[in-house]
Amino acid sequence: MASKRSDTAAVGRRGFLKGAALSGAAAITAGEAKAVPVEAPKKASAAYPGPLQLAADTERPNADPATQTSSGGDFMTDVLQSAGIDYLFMMCASSFRGLHEAVLNHGGNKPEIIVCVHEEIAAAMAHGYYKIDGKPQAMICHATVGLQHAAMAIYNAWCDRVPMLAMVGNILEEDKRLPGAEWNHSAVDPGALIRDFTKWDDQPANLQHFAESTVRAVRIAQTPPMAPVFISVDAELQENPIEDREKLKIPKLSLPLPAMGEMGALREVAKMLTNAENPVVVVDRLARTPAAMPLLVELAEALQCAIIDVGGRMNFPSQHPLNHSGRARAAIAQADVIVGIEATDLWGLINAHSDRIVRSNRPIYKPTAKLATIGNREMLIKANDQDFGRYQPVDLAISGDGEASLPYLTEQVKKLIDDGRKSALAERGKKLAAAHASMIDAALSNATIGWDASPITSARMCAEVYAQIKDDDWSLVGTSVGLAWPRLLWDMKKPHNWNGGSGGGGVGYNAPASLGAALANKKHGRLTVSFQGDGDFMMCPGTLWTAAHHKIPLLYVMNNNRAWHQEFMYLQAMAGRHQRGARNTRIGTTITDPNIDYANLARSFGVYGEGPISDPKELGPALKRALAVVRNGEPALIDVVTDPR
Amino acid sequence: MSHIKTSMLAAALIAAAFSGAPARADGDPVKGKATFLAVGCFECHGRSGQGGRMNYPAPPLAQLQLPPESLAAFLREGRNDMPPYVASQVSDADVADIHAFLQTLPGPTDPKKIPLLAR
Ligand code: HEC
Ligand SMILES: Cc1ncc(C[n+]2csc(CCOP(=O)(O)OP(=O)(O)O)c2C)c(N)n1
Repeated sequence: MASKRSDTAAVGRRGFLKGAALSGAAAITAGEAKAVPVEAPKKASAAYPGPLQLAADTERPNADPATQTSSGGDFMTDVLQSAGIDYLFMMCASSFRGLHEAVLNHGGNKPEIIVCVHEEIAAAMAHGYYKIDGKPQAMICHATVGLQHAAMAIYNAWCDRVPMLAMVGNILEEDKRLPGAEWNHSAVDPGALIRDFTKWDDQPANLQHFAESTVRAVRIAQTPPMAPVFISVDAELQENPIEDREKLKIPKLSLPLPAMGEMGALREVAKMLTNAENPVVVVDRLARTPAAMPLLVELAEALQCAIIDVGGRMNFPSQHPLNHSGRARAAIAQADVIVGIEATDLWGLINAHSDRIVRSNRPIYKPTAKLATIGNREMLIKANDQDFGRYQPVDLAISGDGEASLPYLTEQVKKLIDDGRKSALAERGKKLAAAHASMIDAALSNATIGWDASPITSARMCAEVYAQIKDDDWSLVGTSVGLAWPRLLWDMKKPHNWNGGSGGGGVGYNAPASLGAALANKKHGRLTVSFQGDGDFMMCPGTLWTAAHHKIPLLYVMNNNRAWHQEFMYLQAMAGRHQRGARNTRIGTTITDPNIDYANLARSFGVYGEGPISDPKELGPALKRALAVVRNGEPALIDVVTDPR
Repeated sequence: MSHIKTSMLAAALIAAAFSGAPARADGDPVKGKATFLAVGCFECHGRSGQGGRMNYPAPPLAQLQLPPESLAAFLREGRNDMPPYVASQVSDADVADIHAFLQTLPGPTDPKKIPLLAR
């Protein structure tokens, strides 16, 4: 009896009906059951429904239409297309099945669905994509559960001031929710989860509202200072028929021009810069478009001044003699004028600080140095997350978009430089070029130490990779923590040679954001490469499946130091300070025992994988093979066993 | 060499470094390597003493120009982000061994002789 009961419980509603119909025909009694063939008891095991129940279950009431000829999702798809969304990065979920189906069958898979196995991957791909393509894309996930997964990547994009349209499906009206999951997966205000790090959000109540809010969201996201925006999309609105399509209007997307700084104030900065003995310009998230780099080169060359590029974007050619990013401290110490343009953390750069019991800090810059900033970051900061960094007092702070302000600033600088000044500037330029050259020489000399060592030094790994890509149209779209070699020694001069870091330092960014960037590079036929920390990789290893599934060409060079090495060092420092256990710090900080076989892991996802490679002599040939795969349009991963940094 | 240039050790230590004070004869480079790895010097300075980076670059240590006594004195206090190593964690004998090991590390060579680094 007991086993019969559990069989009954296992039969679903449809199975139950089927069973009921059969049992009516066969009229098996409990006594006869023993005589029938083995499978019969299963069929007959359900309790018999009465005639009323049968009718309710089989006859469709007139008020319950089964099909429809339009859906709100169709209109939403039109809106997304019209707002210029080309890709929808997503992890499927029933709360947006209406929109999902409409994108496919009404929109012809436009925006193109990029299938991700985790919501963090979806958001990070949109992040990486934007920094190459310059066009924001959309991601969509389940309300509550999916959005919590995506939150980390949205936070990185926020800190990096990168626009994206994040969306969830949500079931607003409680009487429309089925029991169970649909309650766990619905929220009154899903945007609350991420409101601290999005610029704007809405939960439209009808389709017209959806159109206006989505277009508005896409516009707000792209108005500097840029940031992610969020729309919660009601499931009923997606799934149910459109009442009157004629009435619905999709507003045109118009983007405002970024505001430059106030002209009088910019003229003041131009004066400060031209009159200075040793002016220094600090930039971080300056380049919004490919136009920024030549503009900054023009300013630097007019002034013959040092540029310190913190590297949030591809702002300044790495090998330009005026690029002093690799000797920032020395350049800051000499400066009498420092101008930060979209320099996110100026305080962090121009002060020295130490990680001791007493957290001390002191200015590196001269007490007499004059400071100015131009940028729009302070036009968008919020109180909770502290990504604004420490307050840096300056002499002149200008609100306005850095890139938009550059042409006027340069024009004013040029006006102020008379012929008499030009030879002095040329002299300064020569000195700066010499300092740049010795910075490079010192780096090259350091790069030779341990050249043939195993595990492979990070300098050797980077040099091996560069040697094989430098003649291609390459794009380095990610690096592992603290890997300084490429920006020091590679000749980065095209806007897509580099695209900055995570923004928020949230580990798990690099693998998926690199893939997003590679997707953007694909249509240009660029060779995309990313140095991949092993710790970062293990946050979102499923990224590789998306790479294989969508055939996105990209070489991941696994910088496999078998640790969350940054934390390994911090723990070592802690043990030193506490005078104990200096030999214990591997616990909780290293990724060994067992070692992870990343090449095999890659292969299991359908990605070409080689390694682990610990002999530096084997690295070049392995890279060659992997790059052949990538040049052929597919992803590849090389697992390089490396020394820490 | 950058590790000399970046050094901001007390003048006395620097003087000692350039006076050519000999390393303690009893330093054992093999033990020194084991200690260098066990107590985590390699984490920030690299297994080849090539240097590394925690919050900011940690200098190369290959061919360190410091006598063992000065190295010991330096380790006890650390400096800025260089953590301290008290004697109960790294004894004077350990320091002598680490010192001997650092002297066996080849240090930089001429980048022009390495095709991938030649410019
Ligand atoms: C957690 C990271 C870390 C660890 C572990 C560490 N160091 Fe350091 N070390 C540093 C940093 C950072 C500096 C640079 C400090 C400064 O000048 O601001 C440094 C500086 C030094 C210097 C001075 C070099 C010079 O040229 O100025 C020596 C010598 C040194 N470390 C030896 C060691 C030894 C030996 C060990 C192991 C017993 C060790 N360090 C472990 C981070 C570390
Ligand atoms: C989401 C998140 N979790 C934890 C950390 C702390 N953290 C900072 S760096 C780091 C190690 C990353 O490991 P890996 O990518 O292998 O780089 P490595 O430091 O080893 O070079 C960790 C865990 C973080 N920044 N973000």
